[in-house]
Amino acid sequence: MEPLTGMGVLALMGAAATIAGASEDLESDVGSQSNPNSQVQLAPQMMYPHRIHSKAVSGEPPSNALMCAIGGTTASVLITTGASAALALAIGAIVAAAIHGTYSATAYMGRSASQKRFKQPVYLDVMRSHIPVIMGYAFITTFCILVVSYLMATVLAHPFPLPLLAFIWGITVGAIGSSTGDVHYGAERQFQNVEYGSGLNAANSGNIVRKAESGLRNGIDNSWFCAKFGGPVTGLAFGMTVFLSGWITTVFDATKGDAIGWVSVIAGIIIVLILILWNRNMEVAARAAYGTYKEDEAEAEVAA
Amino acid sequence: MSAGGSGAAAEAIPQNNIIAFGVAGGLIGIYAAYFLVDMVGQYMSFIGALGAICGMIWGAAAVRRVASYGLGTGVPSIGMLALGMGVLAATFGLAVGGVAGPVIALITAAIIGLMVGVLANKVLKMGIPIMEVSMTEIATAGTITIIGLAISMTGTFDFPVILSQVITTGYIAVIFIAGGLAILHPFNANLGPDEAQDRTLICGLEKGAIAMIIAGIVATVNEGASGALTILIGLALWYIGFSGYYDRVKRDAYAVVGSGLLPSKEELE
Repeated sequence: MEPLTGMGVLALMGAAATIAGASEDLESDVGSQSNPNSQVQLAPQMMYPHRIHSKAVSGEPPSNALMCAIGGTTASVLITTGASAALALAIGAIVAAAIHGTYSATAYMGRSASQKRFKQPVYLDVMRSHIPVIMGYAFITTFCILVVSYLMATVLAHPFPLPLLAFIWGITVGAIGSSTGDVHYGAERQFQNVEYGSGLNAANSGNIVRKAESGLRNGIDNSWFCAKFGGPVTGLAFGMTVFLSGWITTVFDATKGDAIGWVSVIAGIIIVLILILWNRNMEVAARAAYGTYKEDEAEAEVAA
Repeated sequence: MSAGGSGAAAEAIPQNNIIAFGVAGGLIGIYAAYFLVDMVGQYMSFIGALGAICGMIWGAAAVRRVASYGLGTGVPSIGMLALGMGVLAATFGLAVGGVAGPVIALITAAIIGLMVGVLANKVLKMGIPIMEVSMTEIATAGTITIIGLAISMTGTFDFPVILSQVITTGYIAVIFIAGGLAILHPFNANLGPDEAQDRTLICGLEKGAIAMIIAGIVATVNEGASGALTILIGLALWYIGFSGYYDRVKRDAYAVVGSGLLPSKEELE
């Protein structure tokens, strides 16, 4: 393949992956999936019943792997029967989003029903308003992941079939969404009522913010908040993962010889080293600028 | 105290009955599909998925039992482990066994599961009393799920056909994850102190039906199997599962309300 074509395809994959990452994180925030879910689950037990959707499908990697594998399978079947790729990918994503909707519904109803002794009601309007939003985001995520997988399988001639590639990218986008985006929702949004940077005191466990700017807070309010930073940053992280991991083998094409193959490995190591140093410097700069949590210092003085 | 705490889960249906249901239902489904596809016609391939659903319900029951010992975030991991052991055992059993393949796969799975359970308790010292038994159950249930869904996709469990139509085409990925979620999701979705066994298990039926529908979609492009009946029966089972689940949620929940404010302080006391 022409290097220029390869770079073009890679750019398209990176763009699709960026959108997939952002929508994946926002989808998990609407339903409070993954790490922040533990506090949503805990809240009624600490006498804080709420109107926040609890989408305890599983961790984000398996649930996204399910969506993407179902989408990839349906698309692959349709392509085998002669359907156009664009149509097949879209229908695959619709099937995946619908199934994800059923998983979201059973998770919310089940978790709430299992909190009977803590008097957590099942609000049907929470389901009616949240699940279409979750399905919408799930469609975008699945479609973009299928675009990435389809381009890899056909244009870049990856040896893996479409359903398997979609499955693997589904796990990856879930893992990155879980590790990158959740921090913004869990630590910052759920505990806006404690001072920024104070960490989560055990006494505050379950005491999540339940009242919104107007009315009672729900998952859609949370996605509005997370769309400002958590979602986009997850998109960038996933887009960079897809782009950079493809870039090294597109520029230094291992099929042209072992020597070039090794150069691509070295290029990968250099990228990882640069990212480690960059992250370290960012952390040091942030600590220097904002320092330790102030109340700790005050407490230390009192103790002394 | 039932699920979600740290003790044995309350059981209305004894686990031994569910084991019998899973093993017998699974094997009958797999072999009935295998022979009836040859004798009656390819549209009988849907029976394989029914066998897989027996396996998934059993798997969900086993996850529920072992995860009741305080495995909160470990629930998804255990479901993935089930299918991981299952893939290994299923491919080995079908590759060496011929017609006896599924039985050999089940025995292999039981051995792998027992080994993992012993490792978890003796080496990792997890100290869960039913770990060995549960791991054996989970691995075997995962194997039934994989073989059952594979046969409903292809109409046979002959290894060369499974290899070319399920593994090489990548559809094994969807079997793995849809089967795995059907085993892990029911308990994960119902986790909490007021979890009930029948509600969890009917959720397993509903998720198993989804895996059946997907298997039916794949079967439409394979010559040996027929997808239409599999998809239709899957949809019917999904409806039965979902409405049954919703009925049990209405029965078990503190309140199911169309809308409303949070419970008042007086109500909470």
